[in-house]
Amino acid sequence: MKTLDFSQDGTSLGLAYGPGILEFLDQYPGSADYIEMPFEQLRHNPSLASVQETAPVILHCASMSVAGFIPPSQETIGAISLETTRTQTPWIGEHLAFVSADGINEEADRDTAPTNLTYTICPQLSEEAVERVSMNLSTLRPQFSAPIILENSPQYFPIPGSTMGMADFVAMVSAQCDVDLLLDLSHFMITSMNTGVDSSKEIEKLPLERVVEIHLSGMNLQDGIVWDDHAVPAPPEMFGLLRQVVKRARPRALTMEYNWEALPHPVIVSHLERARSILAHA
Amino acid sequence: MNARNVQAVIAAGVHHPVLLSKWQADSTLLRHKGIDPETIDLSALRKFAGLSVKVRHNGLRLDLPLTFRLMTLAELGIEVFSAYATDCDAKGHHYAKTSAERTCDLMSFLEKWLDLKQKNHSLLWDMIRHEEALARLTRSTEIAPVLVDNSDDRQPVLRSASVPRVQGRVILHRMQCDPAVVKSALFQRPPRLDLIPEETHYYCYWRKGEDDIQILDVDEFGYYALQLIDGLTSIAELNRRMGGGSRPTQAFKAALQQLAAIGIIGIHGISRARKK
Repeated sequence: MKTLDFSQDGTSLGLAYGPGILEFLDQYPGSADYIEMPFEQLRHNPSLASVQETAPVILHCASMSVAGFIPPSQETIGAISLETTRTQTPWIGEHLAFVSADGINEEADRDTAPTNLTYTICPQLSEEAVERVSMNLSTLRPQFSAPIILENSPQYFPIPGSTMGMADFVAMVSAQCDVDLLLDLSHFMITSMNTGVDSSKEIEKLPLERVVEIHLSGMNLQDGIVWDDHAVPAPPEMFGLLRQVVKRARPRALTMEYNWEALPHPVIVSHLERARSILAHA
Repeated sequence: MNARNVQAVIAAGVHHPVLLSKWQADSTLLRHKGIDPETIDLSALRKFAGLSVKVRHNGLRLDLPLTFRLMTLAELGIEVFSAYATDCDAKGHHYAKTSAERTCDLMSFLEKWLDLKQKNHSLLWDMIRHEEALARLTRSTEIAPVLVDNSDDRQPVLRSASVPRVQGRVILHRMQCDPAVVKSALFQRPPRLDLIPEETHYYCYWRKGEDDIQILDVDEFGYYALQLIDGLTSIAELNRRMGGGSRPTQAFKAALQQLAAIGIIGIHGISRARKK
């Protein structure tokens, strides 16, 4: 089983696990330093643990509902904990989002089961939500052998009751919870475009020195909204933003999230080289 | 507005998009849940529900890569999956476990939902059927019995009582475009889907046993004949069902002979012309 060696300075480059990734690494050995593996896929298909025979694994997660009011079950926390220990992941990248919420009953005023989603949602951007994240983290952190780092959500629509923008919210969470960050540049750019702010100005509001990992993926515009899209390559502007970020940030890892379908190998190779070059010249 | 209520409303709307229509029709329902209706974009929420369902269908991309690429380039993906999410919620439909079943369910929805007068909708309908046919035949493990040896190069002499039977598996689709042309357009920059010619094709996706899949652009005659051939019905009856008389016409026989020569059909009860 391979594990990441962070004894040397610099940023490791990785690929999110998805269709065609093992074939890619077979064809281009050494082109990526690790594979980022979603906990949910490992849980659904434990045989994926064998991926770690090919490359070290960083655990990604979307099940903790860190910004939510319905906590994950003890069974889920236990399963994440087991995978954290087994994979020897250096950290757990979790979404700064919620995936469960109180249920709503339209017909009668009685308790209903919580709504459990399969896709994380951007929380209300408010002091109240920051408090909630802080409370949740204090419960969650002691249960894992690796630190949790938080990933900014993409924002597709205004969240009622919000009192601040995404950059301010992430900065406040990081400061108040003393937590490191997984900066998803695509999410950040998507949020900026959907909320009409300048991403290059907004990103300077983030505590970039706390960025431990960076995500890059694609996006597309449909029906007047910019959406996350891991099936298309990151646009050139994303690499421009990366160049700006690494002037201040020293991430330990950068993950290409091209995991919704197999992208052509030359595209992946070229994007890895591009990212490596930007990091080298930072 | 407290965060807990806001999250509950958003999650419910994404999970049950039918609620969004109710809230749109009666905003007091939102007020009762502590949400100011002016602050929530229900239309965007519906689209987000579409994204969520689209991501749940990522497993289909393996079989339908061009369909998904087309949906992205034609800016149809969010619209399609938003409508699908609402439709499934209204019907209480649970997403199937396998990709093949999910594709089948999605196609059933699209068949009713798409407006084929719109060029992009028509392209999507053709592309998903094209890729689904290839996927289904690829997965097919059925080893079809070869009923009649067509390797004999002598022309079969058809009789009215002869019974044609499809050899292997065929899937027939009438399309308004050539999927190969669409595929090429999808990889051009910029993709000019509007320039893809609209022309009727009658495609026969055919796999005999474990042979490679063949895509035959057959004529209308062959297409409808293949639809009717069931391995039980005689040539005379097939001719009648296709609008001919009781005696098979030479044109009909010639079409069948052509299909037999390719090997798609075998024919029981024929004699062979003498070799010269």
